[in-house]
Amino acid sequence: MVLAVVDWIREIVCMKKINQQVVFVAVCTAALITISTKVNAACQGVVSANSNQVEAEKLLAAYCFDCHGEGGEGGLNLVGLLEQDSFDGTLLFENLITSKMPPSDMEQPSVAEKQVILKWLAERQDEVAEISFRRISRHEFVHSVNDLLGTNLDLASEIPEDRGTNDFDSDRRIQLSKEQIASYFMVADKMVEHAFPVDGFPQEQIWITNKLKDSHETYNIYVRDYKDGTLLSWTRANNGNSYSFFYDNFEPPAAGWYDLTFDAMKVGEFEGDVSVQVHAGKYYYADDRPQPQRLLDVISLGNRQLESHSVRVFLNPGENVSVHCYSKHTYRNKNPNQGAYIKQLKVRGPIQGQWPPKSYPTVFGELPLKSSPKPAQNKELEPTVVSGFQSNLQKIGGNLTVSSFQKGMGKEKMQDGSNRTFWHTRFEPSIADSPHFVILENPRQIEIEGLSYATWSGGNGNGQVQKFSVFVSDDGKTWGDPVVEGDLEIRLANEQPIHFTKATTKRFIKFLITDSFSLDGRSLASIGKLDVVVGLKVDHPKNRVIVDSNSSDDLKRVIRRFSERAFSSNLSDYELESYFGLGLWPLAENQEFSQAAKVALKAMILSPRFVMGPGKHSSLSHSKIAALARILWLSVPDDELIGLANLGSMSDEVIAAQIDRMLDDKKSDRMIESFCEQWLNLRSWRTIAPSLKLYPEYDDLLNYYLPMETTAYLRYLIQEDLPVGNLIDSNFSILNQRLAEHYGIGGVVGQQMRKVSFSSEVPRGGLLTMGSVLKVTTDGFDTSPILRGAWISKNIVGTPLSPPPEEVKAIEPEHGKTAATLKEQIEQHKSNPACYACHKSIDPYGFALENFDATGGWRTEYRVEKPHRGTFQFRLNGYYDLAQEVDASGGIDDQEFENIFGLKQALLLDHKKLAYNFAKKFFEFANGYKPTLKQRMELFNLIENDPDDCRVRGLINKVVVYSLAGEEK
Amino acid sequence: MNPTSRRDFLKFGAALPLALHSLDLRKDMPKRATPPRRVMFICNSLGFYRPNFFPRVRGDLSSSKYLAEMKTKDKLTVFQNLFHPGMETSNHDSEKSFLTGVAKPEAPSFSNSVSVDQVLAQQIGNETRFPFLPLSIYDRGWGCSWNNRGVAIPPMHDETKVFDMLFGKEDLVAKREQIANDQLVVKCLCRDIKTLEKSGGDAAKIDSYRVVITELEKQLEHDAFWLDAQKPDVANTLSTDVEYAFSAKIKNMLELSKLAFQTDSTRVITFSMDWIYGAIKVPGATGGWHTLSHHGGKKDALEKLIRIESDIIQHVNKFLADLDGIKEGDGTLLDHTTVVLGSNFGDASNHTCNNLPTIVAGGGFNHQAHSVLDRPTPLCNLWLELLNEHNVDMGQFGSGDQNLNLLAT
Repeated sequence: MVLAVVDWIREIVCMKKINQQVVFVAVCTAALITISTKVNAACQGVVSANSNQVEAEKLLAAYCFDCHGEGGEGGLNLVGLLEQDSFDGTLLFENLITSKMPPSDMEQPSVAEKQVILKWLAERQDEVAEISFRRISRHEFVHSVNDLLGTNLDLASEIPEDRGTNDFDSDRRIQLSKEQIASYFMVADKMVEHAFPVDGFPQEQIWITNKLKDSHETYNIYVRDYKDGTLLSWTRANNGNSYSFFYDNFEPPAAGWYDLTFDAMKVGEFEGDVSVQVHAGKYYYADDRPQPQRLLDVISLGNRQLESHSVRVFLNPGENVSVHCYSKHTYRNKNPNQGAYIKQLKVRGPIQGQWPPKSYPTVFGELPLKSSPKPAQNKELEPTVVSGFQSNLQKIGGNLTVSSFQKGMGKEKMQDGSNRTFWHTRFEPSIADSPHFVILENPRQIEIEGLSYATWSGGNGNGQVQKFSVFVSDDGKTWGDPVVEGDLEIRLANEQPIHFTKATTKRFIKFLITDSFSLDGRSLASIGKLDVVVGLKVDHPKNRVIVDSNSSDDLKRVIRRFSERAFSSNLSDYELESYFGLGLWPLAENQEFSQAAKVALKAMILSPRFVMGPGKHSSLSHSKIAALARILWLSVPDDELIGLANLGSMSDEVIAAQIDRMLDDKKSDRMIESFCEQWLNLRSWRTIAPSLKLYPEYDDLLNYYLPMETTAYLRYLIQEDLPVGNLIDSNFSILNQRLAEHYGIGGVVGQQMRKVSFSSEVPRGGLLTMGSVLKVTTDGFDTSPILRGAWISKNIVGTPLSPPPEEVKAIEPEHGKTAATLKEQIEQHKSNPACYACHKSIDPYGFALENFDATGGWRTEYRVEKPHRGTFQFRLNGYYDLAQEVDASGGIDDQEFENIFGLKQALLLDHKKLAYNFAKKFFEFANGYKPTLKQRMELFNLIENDPDDCRVRGLINKVVVYSLAGEEK
Repeated sequence: MNPTSRRDFLKFGAALPLALHSLDLRKDMPKRATPPRRVMFICNSLGFYRPNFFPRVRGDLSSSKYLAEMKTKDKLTVFQNLFHPGMETSNHDSEKSFLTGVAKPEAPSFSNSVSVDQVLAQQIGNETRFPFLPLSIYDRGWGCSWNNRGVAIPPMHDETKVFDMLFGKEDLVAKREQIANDQLVVKCLCRDIKTLEKSGGDAAKIDSYRVVITELEKQLEHDAFWLDAQKPDVANTLSTDVEYAFSAKIKNMLELSKLAFQTDSTRVITFSMDWIYGAIKVPGATGGWHTLSHHGGKKDALEKLIRIESDIIQHVNKFLADLDGIKEGDGTLLDHTTVVLGSNFGDASNHTCNNLPTIVAGGGFNHQAHSVLDRPTPLCNLWLELLNEHNVDMGQFGSGDQNLNLLAT
């Protein structure tokens, strides 16, 4: 989506062939009007002359044709255009309704007169009929199924992205593809299986560990053993990544939710909290490459006494938990004495939350349940405390022998879990001759799939293995041909797996070093780690839940109940026949009740009655509750809504009260997040990584919190029902320590998001000055006033932008690189009337934001990248010079401003325009299409005249009620 | 289809020419006389810097900065002067029309039609386990491939998942059960569609659902058929370079394409390459690819852009050379694989779509190194020629109504 917007906006910058129509536009003071011939000529209706038309034309003649008549100074000849049925009056309508036209210094039509013109424009407009239906989006699908099954799985990323270049997920032009429905099938399987696993639920366990896995020697100097655990300072890797330290002795046995409890505290006398980023990822610690990991949550350490900090996170098998400490006071403290002290990590999981798991009562209601075996109670759970390290070879009771060893560098060093220590062949007093080898013994003859090898993590590579052969033997004497041969990389501290083509149960395995690296030609060999790879399938204890029934009537009831929730309909037995069949058949084959129901449940969540909306519902009220749940929760109705619909018709008051209730429900967070992501284009902004040379202060933590500010802010406006002007400006935002640091606001301690008020000199408050929004229009290097201006124009002000004329070279402004200032470069737009017609309403918004860099930080001077020697090495000061002062002044529609403060005031002058744009956007989000001109008039009429009465929550409520009224058509 | 025929089929291996629905394997199957033909489309949606792309000396590929190093120069043709009529200029949506030729992709009311790769997939795709393989470099939901109804086919972007799909060992018992389950579900849903119809549901809505369910039903049949055939044993040679992740991604997608063709797992692949977000890193340059593509002729931007484009060309070069290094029948895999490398932009800096940089490689064609057309010619004429070359006679495709007729032997 960013693609579409950024580029479509960028196009505005350039111009090509100037055709006749565009010349009109260029000269027209009405600016953003383009004239396009309706594509769908076949649908054009003939507009019959009526009294309304006569009156409207009279008014247009009175207020508009002076400038916009034949030969008028406004250039655009509306007289000629309005005579054409094919003329698209949308922009005329928009300029009129938002009072952009007639210009403020001209005579204005009265409210009633304006209504007449608008009404006529809306009536004459030939609206292409909207598609009557839409498919469920991937986010709606996953949320709905979670609610239906009582699960909590985030599987949306397993479904292909489905918004394409449209603004909103709900866009009705998006059609279902086979690939999409196939991925719904796949995800449905996973979710149903997760809710009712055939083998039962893995039993909850507790792990306690204080041991970190090996980390790279470049960075392990910034952490140290401290008291019973570890003390970490802030360590960004040389490439700027958050360097993370991985916990040993815990591997999630199954995908699920885990409680991670860190016993930790802040160490050191400095202001502010120390943060610990909790990541999950595959263990990896090379020096200068990103560690593949995702940030799960953050804990904030303030008190200088040990406390337990818990986060609940979703982990997959194969992932390890890692931590990264952030505190700007502790950057790369060698052998640190301040930072974050973590005594231990306690893991508990997979968490079921309740027993029997929520999925059972959610789907099977009151049916009696049996579980076997009984799950362990809290007190009975034995923690698995592991402090030492056990290699796989040790776990299977094996041992090893080596061809020779140097004193202090014995074979046990390959098995201690660390590659800071290593085995080395003898070099003193005499050099051991080749062959050098290691023999691993597998006395219990366990199936071994391969070997895992790692060099030691220091040195110059001397002695490291380059080529090897592996042999197996029953007696340790006769070896035969090698089972695998290959090359190994030197100076790569990560583990290098050696797969056997066939697993072996032979008693002896010989790892023969056929070539090793040697600086001076001596025959040496060394190994940091060598271990066997075994399945080690631990039979994780499981608890099963059984529905104690084999009654087909019970099963029908379950299916009927589920269908009522999924389809928001009361269906007859006849209509449910095909779903009954899917469940009854396995039940008749004596399958356990919940297992028998699974295929029928799956079919219902893939049914056209669920996947396609608006559905065919058993009553109008059922249609309304389905729409309500889809819009406000991205989900299906709950019991209260179903109960109301079953009672009969629902008045607008009842609906309005339900909207209120639903906005208070936690599930509305999904809507808020989703709406922000789509309306403000925040969805893919995380992929925009700011340049570390220009913005060394940008980090993962900021990246994590910036979009949260936006959603938390909108949530707050809704919760408190604040006036719509808060979208533009306010004296508060929802911040934490990291964000406040970024914004230069003092006194905010701790990473919990909370309301922070500030004085009027602070430029923050409102959407425009949020880092998330300021970053989304950049590529991480430069900011572009044009892109930012177009973004505000489209998303906040709601001025429709027309595509650029043709054949004019793009203006690509650059900071500080040329003699011309940025503004001078952009003001080239002024020199070309074809550009200026539109750009005078775009660029100035962007100018006002020039005080904000590509990460949303405040600046008074531009940063210009400067070269660095050799490979890039992250440093806190970055690589930039300051050049040129920022000039953030500009003017729009006769409103001059010096900087962002002035722009905010200019935008706040017309709250109705802001509210109108917000209403249009929310309407489109809710309905999947842009409101027609008639609907826009009605939306506009919903807006209060008094800015103090025009509030965000109320506006959402009205738009939703209005949208639902459409269901009656 | 009964189980015996499946087993017979498996004996003969995967490379047999067979149309699924007319398959009767109990008759004597002639051994395939010639290797199968494959097609791949690569769209570099941010274009190529043309002064470095097109040969400066007519007919001499070594006069092109990008193509001078090509190892398979005698097996490729650079076309100059191709365009999509009605899209002389466009925005990034022009990628939607790259393989379809439908004008005005940026219009709100745009609706696409079938893309050339899909027409080919319908013709030659059913004989392999995967009728078609759509690839991209990130999760984007759409690319160059559009089905018969003009709906985007979401490409796959995770190379590990693609590798697993192509070559990963499956739990066949579970997979069989799952397909059977899905078939039951599909049957149930088809019955419910009828019920919905009878009760007067929205016909357009039901139709739009029915058509995908019917397609899914066919795919399940296809999957079930292939279940018994062993997937080829292929070593995972994918790069895990996280430093140059972008570069590695392109390399991996091409490597997967090579493996997929080599094992005859599929015969049609489309790779949609674009990147509109933040900076990417290739050896020698870090920058926003998209921003750089709007270089406006500025030297430092161009320098970086050229590094990125050279990196891409270098991967394609290796890919073509790899295909050419694999013997197959009387020739090489490249001789039986048509690879198209092109872009929806002629000049991405100005968003113009004339003179699209286009290369056709391999396919056993009569290559002429550099073909400069006298006047702007619809790219769809080239698509028509490729269709004809694969025995699809459509007469007309998109804006093309004339076989370009420049490749045929």
